[in-house]
Parts: sequence; C-alpha cells; structure tokens
Amino acid sequence: MFLKVQLPWNVIIPADSLDSEGLMLQRQIVIRLLNEFAVKKATKDHGYFLAVTTLESIGEGRVRQQTGDVLFPVVFSGITFKIFTGEILEGVVVKVLKHGVFLKCGPINNLYLSNLKMPDYNYFPGENPFFMNDKMSKIEKDVTIRFIVIGTKWMEAEREVQALVSLDGDYLGPVP
Amino acid sequence: MSGEEEENAAELKIGDEFLKAKCLMNCEVALILERKYEQLQQMSEDPMNQVSQVFEKSLQYVKRFSRYKNPDAVRQVREILSRYQLAEFELCVLGNLCPETVEEAIAMVPSLKTKGRVHDDEAIEKMLNDLSLIKKFE
Repeated sequence: MFLKVQLPWNVIIPADSLDSEGLMLQRQIVIRLLNEFAVKKATKDHGYFLAVTTLESIGEGRVRQQTGDVLFPVVFSGITFKIFTGEILEGVVVKVLKHGVFLKCGPINNLYLSNLKMPDYNYFPGENPFFMNDKMSKIEKDVTIRFIVIGTKWMEAEREVQALVSLDGDYLGPVP
Repeated sequence: MSGEEEENAAELKIGDEFLKAKCLMNCEVALILERKYEQLQQMSEDPMNQVSQVFEKSLQYVKRFSRYKNPDAVRQVREILSRYQLAEFELCVLGNLCPETVEEAIAMVPSLKTKGRVHDDEAIEKMLNDLSLIKKFE
C-alpha cells in the first residue's frame, strides 16, 4: 500500500557550508534532505521511501558542540510503500523455481510464493519453467499475479522487506 | 511480529498509525511520480540518474498497475469511493484491484463485512456500478 506520511527529520549542515543564508540555506537543507531520504531507502515502520512531496516546516538550527555543524529539525510530507500481512496486492513473476516463484511488487523484489501456497498448481520444468493448474492457468515469468501477504520480515542489514505470499483464497492467482 | 494484536489487513488490523494514515491508490501515485519525473527532466539531461531505485521501480509498477490514467478519472474514483464510509486502506485496495462483482469486492476487502458495518450487498453493488461508469468514459 502506498502511504502519504508526515515525518520529522534532522538535516545536518556541515560547518563549512554555513556561509549561505535565507533561500540559499533553505535550498541546501532541501537538497540534503532529498539525498538522505534516497540513501535511507526504507525503515521498518514506514516501509520504502519513494519521494518527498512537501517541506512542511524548517525549525530553528541548533549548533552541535563537537563539530560546529548545525542541525535543522524539519517536517516533510512524502510517499512510502509498505505491505501488511493480510493485504491483497498484484505483482509480477520474476523467477520460477521448483519449490515456488519470486515476485516483484512496487519497490520490493523478493516476495516468495511457495508451491505449497499455490493450490492445484503443478511444476513444469524446462528452459522457461512454469506452474500450471488443470484449468490451464499458467504462472510463469512476467505474468501478473494477485496474491495475499501471509508474512513480512524487515531485514535491517539490507534495509529491505521480504515477504511470504499465498494464492489461498478466492479471486487470487494469475490476472489475465 | 510483536504487539498484542497480530497484524491482519483483512480485518483492518494494521496499527492505529496506519488506520489514520492517508493511503494512495496506484493511479494517484502514478500521477505524482510522473510529475516529479517531468520536473527532473526539465532540470537535468539524465533524470534516471537522479532518482533512487525505489522511485524507479515504484514508477514502473504504478504505471503498469493503474486502472485509471486520466487525472479527472482518478479524482472521480477517489470522490466516489469516499462516499461509502470506507477506511483509507479499504478505499485504495478497491481502487487498485477494481473488483467486478460484490463477491469479488468482499473477497478483496473482507473487513467490509465485519459485524456492525453498514455495507450491505446493495450498497457495494451501487459502488461498483458507479466505478464502472468512470471506466467507460476514461
């Protein structure tokens, strides 16, 4: 799900960049914010960071004693992407293996759909392997799948979300 | 998963913060990200270099999975769905998946049928009909 969030952030301007004032300073703060936002990539609480939409406020700068840098507390609005257990979403198959398939959905690349969660689908090996059920519904690379999320995991080191998904349920499966 | 109640979007158990949060449909995000990308194109020769992987993958995703492309249509979808006392989360799931029948809508958003809520089959059918009219005029 895409979320519109309002978040506080601390932007630090190094001492040697502090010769600008007013609009120039504001611009510097915005540029740093955008960079840090992009580098941070994602958090456990809010999911993946997509874009900053508005800078709501810039607070008074506070000098940091050790370094002489100035810290500006800002509040901004932005868009994030977060998935929830029990959520139904659509994604695209990126890889087919004997025991299941990997899907991508939004900025997330590794959603895993186990063959145990694909009721009545059988694996067909080959150069372009696929799963198929007796109604000739095919799950192969680049196919769109509608699934339900059954579990999510935040990977702190990689700053990524991994998820387990399932086709157990009505109206789930390949979307024509 | 810690906490007393286990997360389950099917029952709208997604945490207070997210129940109150504003959610965006894929088609709404597509308009926002496309606009941002255009802004970058005007400022730089190589806009793709300026955006994060997260932005790029998300833009690709919402372009592919937007059921409505026209900004007026997108506005109308939000407007119509807003009349039906839905949580933000539910509204966006419906706007994204565009169920065609009442049965499908309930399967996509089971929380609609939670005890005490006002959504009988007739109301859901009317909502889906109103949505299908937008598609015709897109």
